[in-house]
Amino acid sequence: MTVIEVKDLHKAYGHNHAVDGVSFAVGKGETFGLLGPNGAGKTTTVECLSGLRRPDSGTVRVLGQDPARRRRALAQRVGVQLQEGELPDRLKVAEAMRLFAALYERPDDWRAVLRRWDLGPIAAKAYGDLSGGQKQRLKLALALVGGPELVVLDELTTGLDPVARRETWTLIGDLKAAGTTVVLVSHYLDEAEELCDRVAVLRKGRIVAHGSPRELAGRTGTASLEEAYLALAEEGR
Amino acid sequence: MRAFAHLSASELRLLSRDPATLFFMVAFPAMLLLLNGSNDHLEVFVPGYLAMVLAIGGISTLPGVMAGYRERKVLRRLATTPVSPFVLLTAQIAAQLAMALAGAAVLVGVAVIGFGVAPPAHPAALALAFLLCALMCYAIGFVLAALAPRARTADMMGLLVMFPMIFLAGAAIPREGVPGELREIGAYLPLTQGVTALRESWLGQPTPMPFLLVSAIIVLGTAIAVALFRWE
Repeated sequence: MTVIEVKDLHKAYGHNHAVDGVSFAVGKGETFGLLGPNGAGKTTTVECLSGLRRPDSGTVRVLGQDPARRRRALAQRVGVQLQEGELPDRLKVAEAMRLFAALYERPDDWRAVLRRWDLGPIAAKAYGDLSGGQKQRLKLALALVGGPELVVLDELTTGLDPVARRETWTLIGDLKAAGTTVVLVSHYLDEAEELCDRVAVLRKGRIVAHGSPRELAGRTGTASLEEAYLALAEEGR
Repeated sequence: MRAFAHLSASELRLLSRDPATLFFMVAFPAMLLLLNGSNDHLEVFVPGYLAMVLAIGGISTLPGVMAGYRERKVLRRLATTPVSPFVLLTAQIAAQLAMALAGAAVLVGVAVIGFGVAPPAHPAALALAFLLCALMCYAIGFVLAALAPRARTADMMGLLVMFPMIFLAGAAIPREGVPGELREIGAYLPLTQGVTALRESWLGQPTPMPFLLVSAIIVLGTAIAVALFRWE
């Protein structure tokens, strides 16, 4: 079953063609990585998937529906972690979890999500007092508390220390095991290699390569996704 | 409905955690009453203070909160959840109103029980005047939130509009105490109509005109806010 289908997506801001003809599909239970340098169009693609932006042309289908028209209905089933997007400084961790759970029709037990993401010890802390890593973990937990079938994670582990990154990978692994479809936006290639079944490499609003991390490495005659990525980036120069 | 209840409770909790809001909306008006305690006509001050509570919350606090949510992309984050923009805004209004009611309860309690001020002659009219004056302040607040590019500008604009307004409209001090030319300006301020509606209701001769004017300003302000408001 196809969870995401994007066909010939175009989105420009003035003369800047942020996304210039992107097509890809993501199947149920897959973990799909969107890679690329800053300004490649990753975030705009994510925004079109979440219904925050209306494409100029092309079609976007998420769980069979158009996110631009059915944003709220889809939001029940799609969890999004935005690269930007803060919370009020005086809102406490447990309050944020309870509040977000209340916004969904069939949320997960927010206390269980809180424990799973190891937020219990900081449950009474205010958002403004959290460290960067703690904020990031809370944002992830908030993206999952609605019990989504699809999660879109923009800059999953930015701001996390190496230990926290590994822990986050394990938890994403658990999500995959539970059958959740994941779209991962990242510029950490080790992360994509570890977690993603397939990746698409974006550059200047276009997909320049896609396939499994191993395929990409094979195609470019390199040993790792990182080297493949660098080889692809060189080609465009 | 569950989303609305949780959001408004959450917003109210956040408001009550802001020491400035808590002080100026709940303690300050009752304090002013204590300072004027020797005045024989406290019943003239109390309805004005009710309007002041509403103006402090709606015109000076609300714009900063909303512009801050926009600047820090809180609104954007919430836009990826199933909550509707309408619920988001009404929850904000409900929290403001609850906070104002707490301030009003303390104020009226101190006035009636502590100073023996005669209770409102027309409680129903007073309640309506309070609600309309509140909605008018929130409409003005949302217009400011829409105009301000950043949270800090919104805070500043809120103070710049709220302070002269509460003094010239007869909220912080009765208009009788304002010198002639300044009193003239007061006649054209939206809050003046709210103060008049509150005062007439409290003292016992409510007339329809201020109620109608306040309602008209609510409609106009809301229309402007809707036209100007930006989510990001």
